[in-house]
Amino acid sequence: MSAPAEAPPAPAAPTAPRRRREGPSRRRALGLRVLSVGGLLLLWWAVARAQVWPPVVLPPPGAVWAQAVATSTEGYSGHTLGEHLLTSLRRILVGSAWGTLGGVLLGLLIGLVPAVRAMLGPLVTFVRTLPPLAYLSLLVIWFGIGEEPKIWLLVVASLPPVAVATADAVRGVDPDHLNAARSLGARPWQQALWVVLPHSLPEISTGVRIAVGVAYTSVVAAETVNGVPGIGGMIREAQRFNHTDVVILGLIVIGLSGLLIDRLLVTLDRTVAPWRGRT
Amino acid sequence: MPSTDDALVLTGIGHEYRGGSGPVPALDGIDLSLAAGEHLVVVGPSGSGKSTLLRLIAGFLRPTRGEIAAGGVPVRGPGPDRGMVFQQPTLFPWLSVRANVEFGLRTAGVPRERRREVAGERLAQVGLADAGRMRTYELSGGMRQRVAIARALAPDPGVLLMDEPFGALDALTRERLQDEVRALWSATGKTIVSITHDVDEAVRLGSRLVVLSARPGRIVLDETSGLPRSPDPRAEPGFAPLRDRLASAVRAAAA
Ligand SMILES: Nc1ncnc2c1ncn2[C@@H]1O[C@H](COP(=O)(O)OP(=O)(O)OP(=O)(O)O)[C@@H](O)[C@H]1O
Ligand SMILES: [Mg+2]
Repeated sequence: MSAPAEAPPAPAAPTAPRRRREGPSRRRALGLRVLSVGGLLLLWWAVARAQVWPPVVLPPPGAVWAQAVATSTEGYSGHTLGEHLLTSLRRILVGSAWGTLGGVLLGLLIGLVPAVRAMLGPLVTFVRTLPPLAYLSLLVIWFGIGEEPKIWLLVVASLPPVAVATADAVRGVDPDHLNAARSLGARPWQQALWVVLPHSLPEISTGVRIAVGVAYTSVVAAETVNGVPGIGGMIREAQRFNHTDVVILGLIVIGLSGLLIDRLLVTLDRTVAPWRGRT
Repeated sequence: MPSTDDALVLTGIGHEYRGGSGPVPALDGIDLSLAAGEHLVVVGPSGSGKSTLLRLIAGFLRPTRGEIAAGGVPVRGPGPDRGMVFQQPTLFPWLSVRANVEFGLRTAGVPRERRREVAGERLAQVGLADAGRMRTYELSGGMRQRVAIARALAPDPGVLLMDEPFGALDALTRERLQDEVRALWSATGKTIVSITHDVDEAVRLGSRLVVLSARPGRIVLDETSGLPRSPDPRAEPGFAPLRDRLASAVRAAAA
């Protein structure tokens, strides 16, 4: 190390106390993360290398990487990795968008209208407990094996959590906020749109995050029938031919893109309701 | 004598809450009529039904007995003819200060340009001309109550209701806001009903003073203050005797 390289810390000293608590701890967290991922990769590589299990059970990281390159360029079952991923992402987007829209509307109704709550509340809870694979068969019978059953599955999976989150938020609205609105001349629809809805926005945005998460975990189920192109379809196909490296590749791609999207949604969550926690 | 031009007429009002252990009588036999342009201040011990009275007038609650009329019309629920300022600030945190003040105009379908104009005027009236763009959670307690007053005044209600609007503020801010309310009252000639625990505040602000007894609240004192409205009633020779009468009535009511 040369002297100039060591110099910077000295002028930074006045702001050091705060920096020292944030900067290095953050860097340390990042370092730990890199270390754990690296360690896992290393362990994977070592175990595969030792050939404890045959490659068809546990392919080495290098093989998965080679598949990543191959499926990205040449493709797998007729489509490139990018096409598989984009198709799945589009399904997730469309499914959770409708699920969110329907969930917010249903949640507002359930929260605001006691009769609707009594009628639809139990149904929503019931559907929510069903695993998506369980109703896929019904959707396939109803809608065939095209795009519709896949979208419907994601809608049905993502709608209930949003509806429940919205309904809970609606019931948490401050009665005096409603009283204030009413004495300012707000009609019922104005109260719903201008008080209840914005009040519930934080919970709704959390609900959206849940909806996308549910759609994400359900997309593989949705793509078990005629799912190519699609990441789930690709995994399914690879399983049939014991292409374990492709299966693992699919898992990694789904996991990483899911993490990325969740990050985006967390950011959205923070910006959508800046008043949260400081009324 | 109640007449139809009275801003507010309460006849035989009684109210009971349905509590867990039977009915809780909160108000009983309230007869009151208030001429337009009066500022009625209600004082009374804690639990004497002051908030209940205000909520009945606002229309948030329906009285168990009796009738309330505002501007000659029976009260059936809340309405923009009776603006409310709550003890706890109930500003909408998802709206800017200006949008909060505009709320009662938006519900009435007032065009955007006109809304801005009125909101600007009302904010200026409470000394917050420059705060329109701020978020409500960026305001101090005193500023919040000012905004709440501006919001309640925006639709130009016949009656302004204020439930201990300055209860949570420090003495200095409280005094400043009292001055502002007096100025506002002189300038607009609004009919005001407000509540306070503070006898001095009551005499400073009210043209009419009512003391409620302990539960169930009954009117034990109803006096018209003859004190001139400005500059400050505290300088008047009549101030101290009136305050003392009020204070002893409240003490007797609490006992
Ligand atoms: N929602 C309610 N349910 C049952 N009882 C209530 C309810 N609200 C108020 N009460 C009771 O009614 C009585 C009058 O309450 P109110 O809030 O009007 O009193 P107050 O004069 O405003 O008191 P404070 O000065 O403490 O604000 C109290 O005894 C209270 O316990
Ligand atoms: Mg009260």
